[in-house]
Amino acid sequence: MSVDLHQLIAPYALDALEADDRSRFEAHLALCEQCRVELVGFLSTTARLGEAEAMTPPPELRERLLATVSSTPQERPVVTALSQRSRARQIAPRVALIAAVAAAVVGIGGFIAEHERADDLRADRSRLTAVMSAPDAATTAESAAGGGELRVIASSTHDAAVVVGASLSNLDVDQTYQVWRLRDGKPTSVGLLGRGPGMLYVDGIKDADAFAVTVEPSGGSPQPTSDPIVATPI
Amino acid sequence: MPGRPRSGRESTVPSTSAASRHLGVAGESASADLGELLSRVARGDEAAFGAVYDRLGAAVFGLARRVIRDPARAEEVAQEVFLQVWQTAARFDPERGRAKSWVMTLAHRRAVDAVRHDQAATNRERSYDWSSGPDYDEVNETVTVRLEHEQVRRCMDGLTDLQREAINLAYYQGYTYAECATVLDANPSTIKTRMRDGLVRLRDCLGVEP
Repeated sequence: MSVDLHQLIAPYALDALEADDRSRFEAHLALCEQCRVELVGFLSTTARLGEAEAMTPPPELRERLLATVSSTPQERPVVTALSQRSRARQIAPRVALIAAVAAAVVGIGGFIAEHERADDLRADRSRLTAVMSAPDAATTAESAAGGGELRVIASSTHDAAVVVGASLSNLDVDQTYQVWRLRDGKPTSVGLLGRGPGMLYVDGIKDADAFAVTVEPSGGSPQPTSDPIVATPI
Repeated sequence: MPGRPRSGRESTVPSTSAASRHLGVAGESASADLGELLSRVARGDEAAFGAVYDRLGAAVFGLARRVIRDPARAEEVAQEVFLQVWQTAARFDPERGRAKSWVMTLAHRRAVDAVRHDQAATNRERSYDWSSGPDYDEVNETVTVRLEHEQVRRCMDGLTDLQREAINLAYYQGYTYAECATVLDANPSTIKTRMRDGLVRLRDCLGVEP
């Protein structure tokens, strides 16, 4: 199966994948150093294809942009997923935040972080890979209010899912994204994504109807304190 | 090295120029500057943002125009791309990719999303266009860009028909590989392989560091 995923590298570099294949390939990238290296060269190549089409834009565009950015706030840097990982384990011990794989979705367009502690996460990764590459794995995705999307890759045979908050906007330091499993509309916390994009492995999805994400105070809440920014059915 | 930011917090920000320089693409001698500019943009430097726009505005707009074709829509997309650069510059890490690729990847993703969205309700078969886009000589004025265009065209000519057509359809028309397979009447896994072989050949022909 991973051989099959590896073959998606060229369509990925060309943006020629549907959303579910894109998610799968981004998860694969976190596990595949060779792919990350090769992708840098491919993306430099496709950038050249783009540059070759350069054409002077209308001059108003520059003026408009400079006027807009002066009143547009910027995302603050995300420091690391590691501290969020330990916090997530205290609050939701059944849920492992896969820092290395979460890093894979932090970058836009496939710029992949290599996590220094990757070796520690090998066990988590194999569970993750098992779900991602299960023959019955099915992907659903919904766009989040405020940007990004929530993708759920679920496998009935593993009774598990990988929940990916992709390209979510960065939150303030005192806030976190919290993921909820919904059953008959009732939420149960499954863990925290942290202040930005991230990924969770979730055990036990048999009775779940959907996953939802809310913005909560740092550390998470026992019950949601705000409306979900996104809900994705399984 | 471009002008230093005037902020007193600058000493806490590691210099990225060395990393950017050694990641630079052949023939892209100013890439260190672009990486440095992006890290200044991440710190809220509007002048640096203007400089990034001056370096890449034509590439982003031209790519959007090529993929989307409608100039007004392309301009909207170019604006979205640069706003995204402004808002998310902190996510760019020069040790994990090249600055120009980062911006061009954002631009291509957005252009493709726009064209797929816009064309969802139309008959894409009928609007399918094998030509090479707008008449290039009329719209392009600088010698550098013209040379780059010629080099890419020459390298594309060095591909097999299937490699070239698959890459053209995917990159310039926003087709998924499955759609490419349908249009080219080929097996999807063949298309994936041809795309990869074609990108390897293009990479080597263009002198991009592997």
